[in-house]
Amino acid sequence: MEKQRSTSYISILLTLLFGVSIFAFFGYSYRYHLVYHEQYQLFLYTSDYFSDTMQHPGGLSDYLSRFLTQFFGNPLRAALIVAVLLMIVQRQVLSLAYKLGGKKSAYIPLTFIPSILFLQLLCDENFMLTGVVSLVMALAAIQLCLVLRHRQFRMAYILLMIPVVYMFAGGTALVFILLSLANELINGEIKGEVRVFFILGCGLLLILLPLIAKWIYVQYPLSKLWTGGDFYRFQNIFPGGLGLLWVLTAAIPVLFRSLPSSCHKLWKTFAGMGVQIILLIILTLYGLMQTTDWKKEEVMRYDYFAQHRQWDEIIRLADRRSPSSPLSVSLLNLALSKQGLLPDRMFHYYQNRSEGLMPSFMRDFTVPFVSGEVYYHLGFINTAQRYAFEAMESIPDSQKSVRAIKRLAETNLLNGEYEVAAKYLHLLQNTLYYKVWADETLLCLSDEKRIEANPEWANLRKYRTKKDFLFSETEKDMMLGIVLQQDPTNRPVYEYLMAYCLLTKDLEHFYRYYPIGQVTYRTIPKSYQEALVYIWGLSNSDISNCPFSISNEVKKQVQEYKRIYTGYSNPEQLLRPYSNTFWYYLHFRQ
Amino acid sequence: MNRMKHYIILCLALIFTACQESVTPSEVVEAPPTLFPDYAEVTIPTTIAPLNFRVETEYEKIDALIEGSRSGSIHVQQSQVIDIPSREWKRLLEDNAEGSLKLTISIKQSGEWIQYKPFSIYISPYSIDYGLVYRLIAPGYEVYSKMGIYQRNLSDFRQTALLENTLLPGNCINCHSFCVGNPEQMSLHLRGELGGTILMADGQTDIYNTKTDQTIGNCVYPYWHPSGKYIAYSVNETRQVFHERKDERVEVVDAQSDMVVYNRETNELLSCPQLQSKDAFETFPSFSPDGRWLYFCSSEAHPIPEAYEQVKYSLCRIPFDPANGTFGEQVDTLVSAKALDKSVSFPRPSYDGRYIMYVLSDYGNFSIWHKEANLWLLDLQTNETRELVEINSNNVDSYHSWSTNSHWFVFSSRRLDGLYTRPYLASIDDTGHISKPFLLPQKDPGLYDTSLYSFNIPEFVTGSVHFNTREVEKKAISPNRIQMKFKWQH
Repeated sequence: MEKQRSTSYISILLTLLFGVSIFAFFGYSYRYHLVYHEQYQLFLYTSDYFSDTMQHPGGLSDYLSRFLTQFFGNPLRAALIVAVLLMIVQRQVLSLAYKLGGKKSAYIPLTFIPSILFLQLLCDENFMLTGVVSLVMALAAIQLCLVLRHRQFRMAYILLMIPVVYMFAGGTALVFILLSLANELINGEIKGEVRVFFILGCGLLLILLPLIAKWIYVQYPLSKLWTGGDFYRFQNIFPGGLGLLWVLTAAIPVLFRSLPSSCHKLWKTFAGMGVQIILLIILTLYGLMQTTDWKKEEVMRYDYFAQHRQWDEIIRLADRRSPSSPLSVSLLNLALSKQGLLPDRMFHYYQNRSEGLMPSFMRDFTVPFVSGEVYYHLGFINTAQRYAFEAMESIPDSQKSVRAIKRLAETNLLNGEYEVAAKYLHLLQNTLYYKVWADETLLCLSDEKRIEANPEWANLRKYRTKKDFLFSETEKDMMLGIVLQQDPTNRPVYEYLMAYCLLTKDLEHFYRYYPIGQVTYRTIPKSYQEALVYIWGLSNSDISNCPFSISNEVKKQVQEYKRIYTGYSNPEQLLRPYSNTFWYYLHFRQ
Repeated sequence: MNRMKHYIILCLALIFTACQESVTPSEVVEAPPTLFPDYAEVTIPTTIAPLNFRVETEYEKIDALIEGSRSGSIHVQQSQVIDIPSREWKRLLEDNAEGSLKLTISIKQSGEWIQYKPFSIYISPYSIDYGLVYRLIAPGYEVYSKMGIYQRNLSDFRQTALLENTLLPGNCINCHSFCVGNPEQMSLHLRGELGGTILMADGQTDIYNTKTDQTIGNCVYPYWHPSGKYIAYSVNETRQVFHERKDERVEVVDAQSDMVVYNRETNELLSCPQLQSKDAFETFPSFSPDGRWLYFCSSEAHPIPEAYEQVKYSLCRIPFDPANGTFGEQVDTLVSAKALDKSVSFPRPSYDGRYIMYVLSDYGNFSIWHKEANLWLLDLQTNETRELVEINSNNVDSYHSWSTNSHWFVFSSRRLDGLYTRPYLASIDDTGHISKPFLLPQKDPGLYDTSLYSFNIPEFVTGSVHFNTREVEKKAISPNRIQMKFKWQH
C-alpha cells in the first residue's frame, strides 16, 4: 500500500518535472520556435472558419490545434500549452499502460516516450500542433472505451468510433484501432470467429475509410486522406517520426503487459526507474542536439523583436553575439537604423553584403516577411505589401496569415486604400489578439487626424514615394536614390543608400551620393568618415588635407591601418583590432 | 394525411408571422436605402437566385416587403440580412415576368421603425444561361496558394468545385473556356510541375503539351470556334513588374506574344505570319459567331519592361476559313490604339454577331490591374464604339462574357474595394439599352466582405459541367501528355 502510494507520488512528480522541463525549454531556451507558428494562421471566431476547417478528415484536430496556436504569440503561453499537452499525452499513455499491462510502476518512465518524441518533432518549425492534439483525442476515445464494461457495447463503440476518430483526428485513428484491438485481445472475452471477424472489421474500416473519404472529398489526393489532418506544414510530407510515435504509443501499453512485474522492494523499483530516466534523458538530449536548429531560432528571435518594434532588444542581442545569417543581419541593421545608429555602428557587427541590408525576394513564406519589415520601415509601402501577400500565399498548407493580414491592413491604410484596409480589419476583428488593434485602426480610416497622430504612420506617409518607379531587385541603390531625391531629409533612406554603397564596396557611388542627403549630424558618422578618408587617401598621400571633418581618432586609425596593411604580406590577423571598421570589411570580407 | 400537412404548414406560418413585428414607421425617409449589394432599380432574369441584401447602416431589425407589379408579395423581417425564401422568390418572379417588383424597406433603430422610399427591381423578358464558371483565387502577384475552378448555378446559391489545386498541390489552374457556353466542351490549363492543357470534348478528357519548337511557350488565352473544331490561343512570354507609387500595384507585361489556332481533328496548331509577327505583340483571340473572323489585339512590339507604357493594343481581325483552317491575307483594324491613345484588351463578340465588347485602358493588356480600365462596346452594324458609362465604375471593370442569347453579360469589377474582383451581371435589349448591373447574389452577401478570393474569368455555361475530376487527377499525375504539332501557313 505504501509502495503504491510512493510510486503514485513519484509518477505525478515525474510528470510535473517533465512538464516544467518542457516549459523551461520552450519558454526560455528554444523560445521563439513555437511563437513562429502563430503568424502562419488566421484563426477566426466565425462559423465559416469552423466549417471550412472541418472540411476534411482530421478537421477537428486541426481546428483545436489552430485554436491553441492562436495563443502562441507569447513564448511563455506557447510553452505552457505545449507542456500541458505533452503531460496529458504521458498521463494518457500511463493510464492505458496500467489498464492493459497492469500497474507495473517500475516502468513509468517508458510512458514518457511518446511525449519525448513529440518534443523532438516540435523542434521542427513545420511540425504542427495537430499531431499532439489528434493523439490526445484518439487516446481519450480509447480511455472512454475502457470504461465500458459490457463486451457488446464496447465492440459496437469501437466500430462506431473508428470513423468518428478518423473524421475528427485523421490518421491517428490507427492508434485507436491498435489499442482497442489490443485491449479486446488481452482483456476482452471475445474468442473464435467473433475475434476474427472483429479484427477483420477493424482492419477493413482502416483501409476503407480513406477510400470512402476520397469519394466524398474528391478535391484531395488519396495520399492526403490516408493520413488526414494537417500534421506538417508541407502538405505532401508526412513526418516519419509521427508514424513511429503512433506505433510506439500503441506498443508501450502492450509492452507493459509482457514486462515482468515490479520488484517488491521499493529501492529496487526506484533504482530501475532511475536507470530508465537517465537513459531517457541521454536520448532526449541527443535527440535535441539533432532536431534543434539554433540558426533558425536566431532568425526567429530577431524577427519577433522586429515585429514588436523592440529595436533595443535586437541591438542588445547582437551585442552579446553578432548575428551571421543575412536575415538576422538585415533586422539588426534595421534596428540600428531605427535607433539612429546605423552609420556609426554597422561595422561593429558582422555584415553580410547587401543581402544583410535588403534581402532579396524569395518565393517562400519566411524570407518575404523578414525583408518586408525592412521595406515597410523604409517607406517602400507597395513592396512591403507585396512581400506580405506573397509570404501569405506561399504558406504551404494554404492557411492565411494573421501577420500578413495585419501588414496588408497597415499598408493599404498608408496607401489610402481604405476599403481594402477595412476588409482586412474586419477580419481581424474576429480574432482574439488583434481585435483591439483592428477596432482602433478602423477608427482611423475615417479620421485622417488619427492616422497622423500615429508617429510611425505619419512618418511613412511623409516619406512614401510620390514618383512612380518599378521595383528592381538588382538596382536597390537606384530605388533608394529615387526616394531620397524626392526628400533629401529622409534620413533612414539616406543611411540605407550609404550603407548599400559601403556594403557593396561601391566607393564611387558612395562619394557621389554622400552630399545628396540633407541629414544633419553633429559629427560625420564613423563609417562615413572611414570611407571618406579612405577615398581621399586613394589619390592623396596627406590625409591632413582631407576636406571632410574627420576626427583625429579616425585619422590616427587609418594611418596605423595603412601602415600594417601595406607593411605585411598577410595583415588580416594583425588588423583584427580594426574589424569594426569599414576598411577591414572592404579588404577582408567577401 | 394531406389535411395534416396543411395544418402543419398553417401552424408554422402562424409561428413565423408571430415572430415578425408589425412595422409602424415613426419616420419615413424620402430616399431609397443604401443597400449592399446595390439592387435598387436593377434588371434581373426570372431565374436568378434571391437577391439577399442588407442596408448599409446599423439597425436592430430589417423589414422588407416585396410586391409584384402583377401579383404576389413576400414579407421578410430579419435581424441583419434580408434572406428571401427561395421558393416564394421563384414564384414571385415567374408570376411577374417582364413586370417589376416594388421593395419597401424599413429598419428598426433604437426601438423605432424607419421606412425608406420604395424602389423597383425590373424583371427582364430575356432568359439567362444556367450558370457561371469562375476561378476563385487570391489577387496576388507571382505566388499562388489555394485556388479552384467553380461552377455556380444562377438560380440558387449552389457553388461546386470542378477542380481545386488541393488535388494537385503546387499547381496553378487557369483559363477555363467553353465552346459557346457548352458545358461539355471545355479547355483548361494546368501550370506547374504537372503542367498541361486539359481538353474536355466529345465525352473525353485529355491532357496536352501545347509547347512546340515553333512557338514561344505554352498556349494561353483560349477561345473556342463556334463549330467546336478549333480553339484559338495566344502564346505569351509574360512577366510581372511592380510599381512603387501608391495608386499602382502590378504590371503584367508580355515580352513576346503570338497567336495560334488549334485544330482538334488534326492535333495541329495553325499560324501565319500575320499572327506571329516579330514586330508586333498579338494576343486575346476570339472568333466571330459565324466562325469566319478571328478577332485579336495587336500592338507594336516594344522593349519590355522598359517601354511597358508604350504598349498599346488595337482591336484587329483576320479572315479565317473554318473549312480548311486557313487565314486570310488582310488584317483589319477595328479600333485603333493610336487614334484613341488607349489600349484594347479582351475583345468578346456577342453570339448574335452584333457587338464586340472590350476593355479599354491606358496601356498594356492586363487590365485587371488598371484602375482606369473600362468596358466599351463596338456596334458591328454601325461601326460605332462607345464607353459603357451605364455600367462602368471609377475602379477596374474588366473581364466579361456574353450569355448565349447575347442579352446578358457578366463582367469583373473591383468597384467594391479596389482589389477583390466581383462578378456583375447586366442585360442589353434589342435597342442596345443596357441595364444597371447587379452583383451576383449570395445567400449571405457578407461573403463579399470576408472572402479573400477574387472571382476570376466568369464564363456563362448553358448547363451543369460534368467534370470528371478523378480522370483529370489520374491523367494529370501521369507523365503522358498528347503533344500538339505545329503547322505554318505561308
